[in-house]
Amino acid sequence: MIYLDNGATSFHKPPTVAAAMQCALENCANPGRGGYQASMAAAKTVLRCRETAGRLFECTPEQVVFTANCTHGLNMAIRTLVKPGSRVVITGFEHNAVVRPLYELKADIRVTGRSLFNHADLLEKWEDALRRGTDVAVFTHCSNVFGYILPVEEMAALCKQYRVPFVIDAAQSAGTLPVSLSGLGADFIAAPGHKGLLGPQGTGLLLCNRLPKPLLQGGTGSNSKSRLMPDFLPDIAEAGTLNVPGIAGLQAGMAYVEKLGPQNILVKEQQQAKRCALGLEKLGLRVFYGEPQCGTVSFVPEKDCEEVADYLAKHGLAVRAGLHCAPLAHESAGTLETGTVRVSFGHDATPHQSSALLLSLEKCVGKK
Amino acid sequence: MKQCMITFRSVTPAQRGEGMLKRAGIDCTLQRTPRWMEEQGCGYCLKLSCAHIPRAVAVLQENQIHYRKVYLYRKEGQLEEMHL
Repeated sequence: MIYLDNGATSFHKPPTVAAAMQCALENCANPGRGGYQASMAAAKTVLRCRETAGRLFECTPEQVVFTANCTHGLNMAIRTLVKPGSRVVITGFEHNAVVRPLYELKADIRVTGRSLFNHADLLEKWEDALRRGTDVAVFTHCSNVFGYILPVEEMAALCKQYRVPFVIDAAQSAGTLPVSLSGLGADFIAAPGHKGLLGPQGTGLLLCNRLPKPLLQGGTGSNSKSRLMPDFLPDIAEAGTLNVPGIAGLQAGMAYVEKLGPQNILVKEQQQAKRCALGLEKLGLRVFYGEPQCGTVSFVPEKDCEEVADYLAKHGLAVRAGLHCAPLAHESAGTLETGTVRVSFGHDATPHQSSALLLSLEKCVGKK
Repeated sequence: MKQCMITFRSVTPAQRGEGMLKRAGIDCTLQRTPRWMEEQGCGYCLKLSCAHIPRAVAVLQENQIHYRKVYLYRKEGQLEEMHL
């Protein structure tokens, strides 16, 4: 199978990921719960992962909170900052992981910047929204549907200028684009462990510049006499036993990313995405391509997009069709009714992958 | 050689402290804090020679590693808090 759904999860993980998970299963007990060897081995594994994340995202190991996925981290961050009625500015390319918690909290949501690959328009509207009065800003680093890379440095600078706390959704950027907690000055940055960081599913990170409001209360192996959660990071947000095998795998994934270099992975993915986009255009398809774009490309076929994805699946190509849990992004691009077929390259992107996709699509779209 | 103990509120700062002290050439052992001296219920500590305490504390402070208290082993089983 040629896997081109890395926007959903990375599938071909480095072999060190499974090996690290196996090793953790065999050697690690519960971290922070004992002084015996297996508990300390677990604690070492967990700290190693926090340290690797700290290097990748320019923060201290204590600022790294382990979550079950990016959605978990976003929920925690949003619920810390947003109250019912809070004026929250978001972009027109947010995932449901941002939109749904905000609706649930009955926030006063203002959607701004809905034009694809248009930084000038976005930044003008972003500043205007912040100037008019905003309590919290939440924005994605990169659209999961269109691969559009947003100008997060400028957006973050504007948030700081207008003293608006902000959360960044790094679901599609962690592991390929520069993400710096200290550099961006975000209150929170949420990232999945299983996408660009190449860890296993069920892992994620919440990078914290302030104390989050925990979603769960329970044992942390610290301050046990208190009926309240500890008031320090990372313990405040990590009630219950951590996913140690997952964290071990995530550490191995991040170490692999560190070794290859996120920038090198990005270039590899972008080259194939561009090649794919140009080929799709030649086939007469409506392709969403612009600058800056990561390794993700969406297109609208004449046929139903699910039908096209099904055809490709039968020919050994895994892509994702539909709304990609981001109806807001589709609304912004005018594809809410049709959906799109999304092709997302990963760390193992090769010209063979894009050639195989284009060849199959040529046959598919040629079939009436 | 007199032994001392630096206590931490959880395993993460204790581990980070251990790494930093060892990198600074200070030998220390990470272990659970004895139950009777842990006011908050449970925690971890670093056991090390008292001769290294001033430098160890300076290393922890420089690196913003939060520690709770420093104790001196008086005699077997007895510890006395050191006010630095």
